[in-house]
Amino acid sequence: MIAREDLAATGVAVVEEGEGLRLTPPSAAALARAVAVVRAYRLPLHVRGSGDAPANAPAGGVLFDLGSLDRIASVDPAAGIGRVEAGCSVAALESAVRRSGCTLGPLLPSVRAGSVGAWLAGPTRGERGIPGARRQTAALTVAAVLPDGRIAEGRAAPAKAVGPDLDQLALGGGGRLCIVATAGIRLFPATLAMPSAWRFPDVSAAVAALERLCEHRLAPARARIRAGADGATLGMVWEGIQSAAIERDRAGRILLEFCTPAPEVPPNFVREPPDGHPVEVDARWASLRAWSPHGDLIFFGLHGGGAFAVLSLPEAGAAEQCAALARAAGARVIAPRRLRDSGPGWEAAGAGSVWERLVVALGAPP
Amino acid sequence: MGLAGSDAGTRMDRPGLVQPVELRSLLSGTGLISSSAGPGLNRSDSGGCPNSIATRSVMREHVGVTGRLPNATALGKALRREIAALEIAASCDATDLWAASRDCSSAGLLWTKARVSPHPPDVVAWPESAEQVAALVRLAGKQRVPVVPVGGGTGTAGGAVPLRGGIVLDTKRLTRPLRIDAGRGAVDAGAGTNGKRLDELLSKERLTLGHGPPSLRTATVGGWLATRSAGLLSSRYGTVADMVLSLTAVDGSGEILRTLEGPSAGPDLCKLLLGSEGTLAIFTEVRLRIWRRPRERWLRAVRFGSLQDALAAVREVLRSGLRPHIASLHDPLDTLFAGTDPLRVPQPLKWLAEGAQAEALRLALRAPLLLNRLIDALPGSSLVVLGFEGDTEDDTAQEGEAALVICGKERGEDLGAAPAEWWLASAHRAPWRQAPLFAAGAFVETLDVATTWPRAEALYHAVRRAAEGQALVRAHFAHAAPEGCGIEFTLLGLAGGTAAEVSSVPRDEAESDLERAQEARDAVWNAALTAVADEGATISHHSGVGSSRQAFLHRELGDGMRALRALKQAFDPHGILNPGKLLS
Repeated sequence: MIAREDLAATGVAVVEEGEGLRLTPPSAAALARAVAVVRAYRLPLHVRGSGDAPANAPAGGVLFDLGSLDRIASVDPAAGIGRVEAGCSVAALESAVRRSGCTLGPLLPSVRAGSVGAWLAGPTRGERGIPGARRQTAALTVAAVLPDGRIAEGRAAPAKAVGPDLDQLALGGGGRLCIVATAGIRLFPATLAMPSAWRFPDVSAAVAALERLCEHRLAPARARIRAGADGATLGMVWEGIQSAAIERDRAGRILLEFCTPAPEVPPNFVREPPDGHPVEVDARWASLRAWSPHGDLIFFGLHGGGAFAVLSLPEAGAAEQCAALARAAGARVIAPRRLRDSGPGWEAAGAGSVWERLVVALGAPP
Repeated sequence: MGLAGSDAGTRMDRPGLVQPVELRSLLSGTGLISSSAGPGLNRSDSGGCPNSIATRSVMREHVGVTGRLPNATALGKALRREIAALEIAASCDATDLWAASRDCSSAGLLWTKARVSPHPPDVVAWPESAEQVAALVRLAGKQRVPVVPVGGGTGTAGGAVPLRGGIVLDTKRLTRPLRIDAGRGAVDAGAGTNGKRLDELLSKERLTLGHGPPSLRTATVGGWLATRSAGLLSSRYGTVADMVLSLTAVDGSGEILRTLEGPSAGPDLCKLLLGSEGTLAIFTEVRLRIWRRPRERWLRAVRFGSLQDALAAVREVLRSGLRPHIASLHDPLDTLFAGTDPLRVPQPLKWLAEGAQAEALRLALRAPLLLNRLIDALPGSSLVVLGFEGDTEDDTAQEGEAALVICGKERGEDLGAAPAEWWLASAHRAPWRQAPLFAAGAFVETLDVATTWPRAEALYHAVRRAAEGQALVRAHFAHAAPEGCGIEFTLLGLAGGTAAEVSSVPRDEAESDLERAQEARDAVWNAALTAVADEGATISHHSGVGSSRQAFLHRELGDGMRALRALKQAFDPHGILNPGKLLS
C-alpha cells in the first residue's frame, strides 16, 4: 500500500485496524504531515483522543489516535493559561493545573472523561460558564491542522478583531474541517466553592429561580435540582476568590423574596453523581422548564440563555427514555455519544451551499 | 472646484448617504470646519432616513474644503438605473460619492485635509430589507462589481473605504426590526440601527446592552458586528461577539443566512461571521442579549507608583473573579493628562494634547524622540480607574472595596471618586478631540492591540521604543479580562502643513503635502505594528484590520491565511464583497 508507506514516512505509527489504518502521531508536526498525506490520497478519516469514546478506522481510511499527543507544555497560573496537546485527557489536565492552584472549572461529566481535543471539537465547543452569567470557550488559542497539513494558530489575546475568528473552524467541528493539535486553555484560580441551598414547591419553580439569578448575572458555577416528597431542593455553588461570597449573598437576597433556605442539605449535594442513566443536554431555559416535571437536573455553564444540564429520571429510567423526553422538551442531547443529536447545522441556517463550498475550498475529505 | 463634472443637483429628493451631523464629523475631523452641530443638525432625528436636503446644505456650506468632488462614472449611472429598477434607493451624486469614499481613519482625514478622494465608489445604494440586500448582491455578482457595506462610517482602519470602486451599500436604512423582547432578555435590531438610538431605547426600559464604544453616537449595530467591536464596559459585558444571540446576513452569492439562537451543531456560523469586515457577508439584522440596567455605580481612581504595580493590581482584580465594568489603566503620560497627578501638566504638553498653538505643536513634533525622553524624565505615576455596577450602593461598594484591598497590596493610593467621574465624563469625548490636531498639521493614530498579562508591559515598552523617534506616544490599558488586556496607543506626529496652509495652495502642492504626511504616518504606524507582531500580540483588539493593518495580517494569522482564503471562496464565490480587505 503506497499510502501506508507514505504515512509511515511522516513519522506516525501505522497499525492496521479492521478495514483501515490507525495512525498514532508522536507530535503535532507529525500529525500535520500525515494529514497532508491523507488528503493527497483522499482517504476518509476519523479522530480519537485519549479517553474519548471508541472509534474505529473507516473502511479504506484512517483513524488518527491522538492519545500520544498528551503533553502539557506549560501551566502558567499568573497568566491563567495552560498549553496542552489535544490528546491529553481533561482529567489529567485538571490534575496538573490543580497543582498550580488553578482549575478548569465545573465541566460536564462527559467532557471530564474525554480529551481536550474532543472537548473543543465536540458539541460544547469547549464552552463553559464564566462569571457574569456568560458562556465562553475555554480555548484562548487553538493550533489546528488544516487539510493540507499546515498548522493555523492565532495569537493569544483576550479578544481580537483580525477578521473572522478562525478558531471557530475547529471548535465544534468534530475534526471535519481541521484537527485540533494543541490549545491554550483559560484557567480559573482554584478556590473554595461557596454553597447555598433552597427549597421550592416543585422542580419547575426551582428552574425558574435559577433562570432569574442568571438574569441578574449571578449564575452559580454549578447547580443541582432534586425533587423530593415535599417539593424540590436547589443547591448551588459559586467560585471565585473575591466574588463567590459576594455573589452568593446577592443571590440569597433575591431568592429570599420567594423561597426559603434549605439548611439541612448535605455539603456534597451539588457534586454527587446523578441517579440512573442520565443524559447531557445543551438547552435553553424554556426547554429546561419543560423538562422539569420528569426528573432531576444538574447544571453547568449557566448563562442568560440556558445551560448545559445533566438530566436524569427517578427510578433509574433508561437513558433512551431520558433522551426522548429531553428532545421532546426541545433540548439537544449531547451525551452519551450513542444518543447524541446531530443538531441543526449550517443547512438549517440556509448555509448548506456555503458549507459544501467550504469543504471543497479547504480540501477537507468529502 | 465644486460640483463640476458630476451629476449632482439634478434631483433634490434622492436619498443622501450621510447625516448632516456625520458629514460635519467627517469634515471637522480635519479641523476644517467647526465640530459643533448647527441648527437642525442634532442627532435626535438620525435614526434611519437620511435627510438629503440638509446634507446637501452642509456640503454647499463647506464645499470649498472638499476639493473636486468625484465624477459619476458611466458604470455608476448604469448601476443606479439597475438598482433603482429593484426599487432600492441609489445615487451617484457627487456629494454621496465623496462622503462614501472615506471613513474616520487618519488616512481619510488626511485625504479630506488635502481635498482629494482617491477611492470613490461608482454608486451608493440604500436597501431597506435583507431581501433587497440579497437582490443587490445578486446584481453585483452578475456584473462582478464590488459591494462594500458601510454603517456609520466611524471605522478607524479604512475597512469601509471602497478601494476598488463599485457599490457602497449603506446599511443605515436597515433599521427594522427594532424590538425589545424583555421576557427573553433580547433585542432585535436592524443592522443600520444607530448605536445611541438603541441605547436610549433600552435605557427607557431600564435595560442595557452593556456596549459603549466611543463611536456610540454615530456607529451602527452592523458596524459593531463587522469589526467585533468592544466598548468601554467590555470587562464586564464582553465584546459585541459575546452579546450576539443570532443574526441574519447575506452572503456573496446573494443567499440570506439566518443563524440559529440556541444549541446548534458544527462550527458556530454566527461567531465565524462576526468580525469579517464585510468580506464574507453583509449583516442585515441581529438579536442581542440585553440585561437589566444597574441602578448604582461605584467609581474610584487609584494611583500607582509604577506601571508594573498598576498592571499587577488590575490583573489580580480580574483574576479574583470581580467584574468591574470599567478597568482602565493609564501610562504616566496619559496619567499626567488625566490631571490627577500632583505634578501640573507643563503648558507645552497641553498644547500637544489640545492642538492649540499650532506653531508650538509643530515645533515640538519635529523632535519626537526628545519629547518622549523629556516626558520619561518627569516623575510619573500610573492611574487606574475602576468601576463597579449593581442594584444597590452596598452591592457596588462591596466589590469596589474588595478591589481596593487588592490595589492596596500593590501599593495603590485611593484618590477617591472625583477624578474617576471626571475621567468617565471625558472618555467619550476623546475621539473628537483630534480635529484641532489635524488642523494644526499633525496626525493622530490610535492603535488598539491586545495580549496576555505576562506580555503586556513588554509590549507597551516595545511599541514605545519603536515609535518614539517618530511620534509622541501615549497609551492606556483597557478591556481587561482575566487572561490579558488591550492596549490603546495614541501616536501623535507631524503631518505636513496646517489646514489653513493646505487649503490655500494649488492642488498639486496639497497632494505633495498629503504624500509627505502619509509617509510620516506610515513610517510610525509600520514601526509600531512591527513591534506588536514581534511581541506576539494581536494587531487589533476591536478596530478591525481594514486597509491600514492588512499588510500585517499574514504575521498575525500565519498559515491561517489559507483558511481565510477558503472562507472567502465559500462565502463569496464571486469575490465581490469588500474586495481588497483582509485578502489582497
